[in-house]
Amino acid sequence: MGDSALNRMTALVRQDIRLLLRDPAPLLIRTVMPLVIMGFMQPLFRAALQAGGAGTDVNGAEQGVPGMAVMFLFFMMNVVGFAMFREHGWNTWDRLRAGTARPVELLAARLVVLLAAAVLQLTVIFVAGGLLFGLRVSGSWLALVVVALPLALSVVMLGMALVVLCRTISQLSVVANILALVFAGLGGALTPQSAMPDWAVPFAPFAPSHWAMRGFNEAILHGGGVPDVLLPAGVLCLFAAGLAAVTLVFFRAEDRKLSWS
Amino acid sequence: MPADRRPAGGAAPGTPALSVRGLRKSYGDTTALDRVDLEIAQGTIVGLLGHNGAGKTTLMSLVAGLRRPDAGEIEVLGRSMARDARRARRELGLAPQELGIYPPLTVRQNLRFFAELAGLRGRAARQRIEEVAEPLALNALMDRRAAHLSGGEQRRVHTAMALVHRPGLVLLDEPTAGVDVETRARILAHVRELAAQGTTVCYSTHYLPEIEELAADVVVLHRGRVLTRGGVDELVRRHGDSAVELVFSGEPPALDLPWPVTRHGDRLRVRVEQPQLVTGRILAALGDAAAGLSALRVVKPTLDSVFLRLTAGTPGPDAGEDRNRDERTGAVRHG
Ligand SMILES: Nc1ncnc2c1ncn2[C@@H]1O[C@H](COP(=O)(O)OP(=O)(O)O)[C@@H](O)[C@H]1O
Ligand SMILES: [Mg+2]
Repeated sequence: MGDSALNRMTALVRQDIRLLLRDPAPLLIRTVMPLVIMGFMQPLFRAALQAGGAGTDVNGAEQGVPGMAVMFLFFMMNVVGFAMFREHGWNTWDRLRAGTARPVELLAARLVVLLAAAVLQLTVIFVAGGLLFGLRVSGSWLALVVVALPLALSVVMLGMALVVLCRTISQLSVVANILALVFAGLGGALTPQSAMPDWAVPFAPFAPSHWAMRGFNEAILHGGGVPDVLLPAGVLCLFAAGLAAVTLVFFRAEDRKLSWS
Repeated sequence: MPADRRPAGGAAPGTPALSVRGLRKSYGDTTALDRVDLEIAQGTIVGLLGHNGAGKTTLMSLVAGLRRPDAGEIEVLGRSMARDARRARRELGLAPQELGIYPPLTVRQNLRFFAELAGLRGRAARQRIEEVAEPLALNALMDRRAAHLSGGEQRRVHTAMALVHRPGLVLLDEPTAGVDVETRARILAHVRELAAQGTTVCYSTHYLPEIEELAADVVVLHRGRVLTRGGVDELVRRHGDSAVELVFSGEPPALDLPWPVTRHGDRLRVRVEQPQLVTGRILAALGDAAAGLSALRVVKPTLDSVFLRLTAGTPGPDAGEDRNRDERTGAVRHG
């Protein structure tokens, strides 16, 4: 009732959903593109998996679906950035700050919506992967969920950390796109982990995508259940926590950010 | 309950709506505000008058808690912005100088968002949205996207968004900058209505006729300092340049009068307190030269002339730089 934190959060979340629905294209594109790429690359992924010793009954979706899902999820950092920077472009950030909502509430509400969008994107890609490309999960679907949730959280937190550290949306988008590609490569999302070049192997554990792909591979290819993915899921939680700390340390509500202009 | 709260938000009747003491703010080397004191009584309108760069926007953003002052105290209806920011902000509605709306959303959605943020729901929110939309003539635009409105219409939405939560103190930073005549009239009329209902309005502008129209108390801000404060009539009486102006068909004659006389081409200007009482004496002093007189005018002082006179050649805060620095050490820290 009245002017409570919960009420304000609800209002902020509803507002972000309205804005998301007004312009769903960026999210749709990042969901459709991995499926398109998957359609062309499936035979290549199958050959790569077989060359890596995965046996003859793989069809390529075991690598392609989680790989493309992870890669395009990281591109979502752009969506996170835009969701924050547009408030500066519209001059509404100061209006929000002049109200009773705490700056942390403004961040948290945005996080809720973006996290939901990330989870939705992963869900659609995995479900479409099963229906269109015959993805079979040899282990547990629940294990996939246990990896997907902290993955989505760390991507959104990475986006938030970039928002706090970048002054302009173009800086953010350069860094986000490069990071997304590097993480896709290091994590074994672009190519199977078995086919990764030697120079990249030592760097792989520093990429959150590496842990995500380890967890997904465990459940999809190796018949893993929830206990088998707890390590990668835990590391992803640590990534998310570290990035949340960076965000909180460097966040200044009064910082001017340059959107378009 | 926010929905049926009195505009003054429960503050004691004598409490000023805004009390600012010793406010200072610098951006690097630029002193934007220098020892500003300002008190605004509940239910009144104060026009904050100043040239570009005078510090109006800085003052409003400090009051709204968007920036921290270097020194000084701010209280909104008795609540300190430094110690009790959220209670102070609840009483405050800011319509910033720059248009701040959500272009992809409709007018209704823009207003509803701010109503919901203030804790209004369902019927209460709808009713309140109607209440702010009506006087600003937004009813017919409610389902249009803000991006598709004219500049004046957007400005009215922008202003309405600052009012939905029924603030006791409304800060309007140049609310009529760049709008059409109709929007200007609407906004001015609504400001008067707000004050009549007990809401306090602080209205910044560099456009003098607006202040005269609002019959507001004027605070003249110049280079970060409050130069003077008073009612329009009072300021005009105190600082106005009233005069008798004489236009000649040829060369103006020399005049011997106890008042200052200045010459501008074919005319003479006699500066006097009450020009209507002395025209006879001036004509007498003209003597034969009165034949060459083609017109005589009593020049009434305007707020314009008061403003120009007050702000001409006044040293800025930078002039007292060293002194400022000494005093800064003993300044009250804010925040
Ligand atoms: N963000 C800022 N950074 C640096 N200087 C600023 C900033 N904002 C305002 N100023 C300076 O502070 C002074 C007061 O500006 P402002 O408060 O915007 O005046 P006004 O609203 O009366 O035009 C000006 O000299 C302006 O250049
Ligand atoms: Mg200004």
